[in-house]
Amino acid sequence: MIGKRGKLLVLLYAALLAVLFLMCSTELIIREPEKEIYQIAVIIEDAKDDNYSSFRKGMDQAAMEYNADVRFITLYEKMDAAQQMELLGREQQDGADALIVAPVDEDRVKEALDGKQVTVPVVLLGTEQAEEEVKRAVITDYRKMGARLAEQMQKRLPEGCPVLIFSDQENRSAMSRYFLEGAEAVLLDGGHKCSIAVREKELGYRGALEELRASGQGGAVLAESPEILAETAGLLADDPPYAGYVQGLYGRGSTLPILNDLDRGLISGVCVTDEFSAGYYSVFMAVQALEDSGRQTPVVMDSYYIEKQDLRKPEYEKMLFPIE
Amino acid sequence: MTGRKIRVLLLSACVLLTACRGAQKEEQKTSIRIGISLYRGDDTFINNIRGVLEEKAKEYERESGIKVILDIQEAKGSQNTQNNQVERFISLGCDVLCINPVDRMDASVVIDRAMTAGVPVVFFNRQPVEEDMNRWEQLYYIGVDARETAVLQGQMLVELYQEQPEAVDLNGDGVVNYVMLEGETSHQDSLIRTEWSVQTLKDGGVPIERITGGIANWERSQASALMEQWLSAYGDAIELVLSNNDDMALGAIDALERAGNTKVNVVGIDGTTPGLEAIESGRLLGTVSANKELYASAIMELAASCALGEEPPEAYPLTDGIYYWTPQEILIRDIGR
Repeated sequence: MIGKRGKLLVLLYAALLAVLFLMCSTELIIREPEKEIYQIAVIIEDAKDDNYSSFRKGMDQAAMEYNADVRFITLYEKMDAAQQMELLGREQQDGADALIVAPVDEDRVKEALDGKQVTVPVVLLGTEQAEEEVKRAVITDYRKMGARLAEQMQKRLPEGCPVLIFSDQENRSAMSRYFLEGAEAVLLDGGHKCSIAVREKELGYRGALEELRASGQGGAVLAESPEILAETAGLLADDPPYAGYVQGLYGRGSTLPILNDLDRGLISGVCVTDEFSAGYYSVFMAVQALEDSGRQTPVVMDSYYIEKQDLRKPEYEKMLFPIE
Repeated sequence: MTGRKIRVLLLSACVLLTACRGAQKEEQKTSIRIGISLYRGDDTFINNIRGVLEEKAKEYERESGIKVILDIQEAKGSQNTQNNQVERFISLGCDVLCINPVDRMDASVVIDRAMTAGVPVVFFNRQPVEEDMNRWEQLYYIGVDARETAVLQGQMLVELYQEQPEAVDLNGDGVVNYVMLEGETSHQDSLIRTEWSVQTLKDGGVPIERITGGIANWERSQASALMEQWLSAYGDAIELVLSNNDDMALGAIDALERAGNTKVNVVGIDGTTPGLEAIESGRLLGTVSANKELYASAIMELAASCALGEEPPEAYPLTDGIYYWTPQEILIRDIGR
C-alpha cells in the first residue's frame, strides 16, 4: 500500500513528466536549429528555357546545397524588357529574398538597381558591364567568345572564304550582339568578307542558303545564337545538297540538339561556356549576398572552342553533359 | 453565471468562429505552385508536352491574373528519385502535383505522401493502376486511350491498303511482311498498342505476316540498332515497320537510311515534333498524334482548379470523375491519293 506521502510523490512525478513533455514538444528545452529557406527568383531574357538546361542543373544543385527555393521564370515574349522589369518588381513584392537576372536591357536593370526600385540582392547573368561596376554577376565575355571562334574559323577556312552571318535582328539579345561584334572584327581583319543574312518570314534561312548555292562559290556560315545554329543544322540535315556549298557551320551554345548536330558533323565547331557552373555560381552568390559572407566579386566564365572529336574528351564531357 | 447566459455565450462564440472561417475561405489565392515530375527528360513526347505546358501556364497567368509557379524536375527513370522529388515539392508548399510516373505499378508512395499532405495529384501520360487511382478523390489522370491510339495506327494502314494496295504490299506478293518495335516490357501502353494495331490490320483485311519484333524501350538509338540487325537478317523482305512511338520509328528510319533503303513504310505514334518533320520530309509514312494543346491545357486547368480548391473544369469532361482522355488524330504523308 502506498502511503499519503507516496501518492503525493507519484503525483508530483507525473506532473513533472507532463511539464517536461510540454516543454519538449513546444521546443522550450530542445530547440531544433531553424534552417532558413532563401527564396530566389531567376528571371531570364527568353520566353523558353531551351538554352538553360545545364544552367538549371547547376542552379538546382546549388539550391539543394544552400537551402534555397529557386523559381525559374521565363518571359511571355522573348526580349521584352518592360515585362522583365515588371517581373523584377512582382517577384520582389512576392517575397523573393534575392533575384538572378539575365537582363534584356542592361541599362534599365542597372537604373532600377541604382534607383533602389529593387532592394533585394541581385545577381546579373551574362552581363557585359565592367567587372568593377557590378558587385554580383556571373559574366561571360561574349565579344571574347566571338573572337575566339573567329580565330578558329580562320585556321580552318580557305583564305578569303566568305562568311555568311545568320542573324535575327528583331529578337537579338545583347549576348548575340557582342558575340557577333567580336567575331566579325577578327574575320574582317583576316580578310574574310562577311555578309549578314536575316531570317525571312516564310523561308527562314533557306533563302540565304539558296543564294549561297546559286553563287556557286560557297562559303562558311556563322550563326549568332544557339537557336539559329540548331535551325541551320536542321536545314542542312533536311537538304544535304546545301552541305556541299557550306564550307563550315559555326556558332555558340551547348544545348543537346547542338551537341548532337556537332556529333553528326552538321556543325563544324562551337564556342561554349560551362553553363552548369554558371548556374551553380549564380545561386551561390545570391545566398552569399543574403548571408553577407564577405566581399563579393563577379565570377568571369571562360569560353572554349570545341569540335566533334572534343565531345568525348573527359575535360569537356563533364562540362557538356553534366549530371546532377 | 446562469445556464441561459452560458448558452448565449457559446452560441456567440460559434457564430464568431464560423464567420472567421468563412472569411478565411473567401480569401482568394493570388498564386499557385505546381510541382511537376517527369519520368525522363529525354523523351521527345514528354518534352513536347512540357513545352506546351509551360506556354499554357503563362496563358493561364495572363488570363486569370493568378501567378503560376512551375517546379519541373526529371526523375531520370528512377521511381525513388521521383518519390524524393514529391517529398521536396510538398515541403516547398506546392498546391498540386502533376506526376508522370516512372513506374505506373508503383505510384502508391507518391499517393501516400500526397494524401498525408492533402495535396491533389494529376497523373499524366503513364496511367497508374486503377486500384491506386481509386484510393482518394483528389487523384486524376490525363492521357490518351492506348487502344484508340493503336486502332488509329492500324486504320491508317487499312485505309491506305484499301486505296493503294501496292503502296503497302511493296513486292506485290499478297502478303505484307512487318517488323514490330515495342516500347517497354510489360508496359500497359506498349502491350495494348502492339496488340490492337495488329488486330486492326487483320480486321481490316490487310494480309500481314510478322517477321520479327523487339523491345527498344521507346528509344531511337535502341530501335536503330535493332533495325540494323533485322535488315542484315531479313533484308528486302521487310515491307512495313510498326512502331509503338515516333522516336523508335525514327530510329528504324535512321537504320534504313544507312542501309540505303528508303522504300519501307514506317509508322509511329505520338506526333512528336521530329516525327511530324519526318512526315513532312517524306521519311515517315504516318503517326497518331494526341492533341498536345488540349493535353497540356487539360493538365494546367485541372491542376489549377485543384490548387484553388475548385471543381474540375467542365471543358475537360472526366470519365468516372478521374480520367480525361485527350482526342487523337491520324497524320499521314501525302502519297498522291
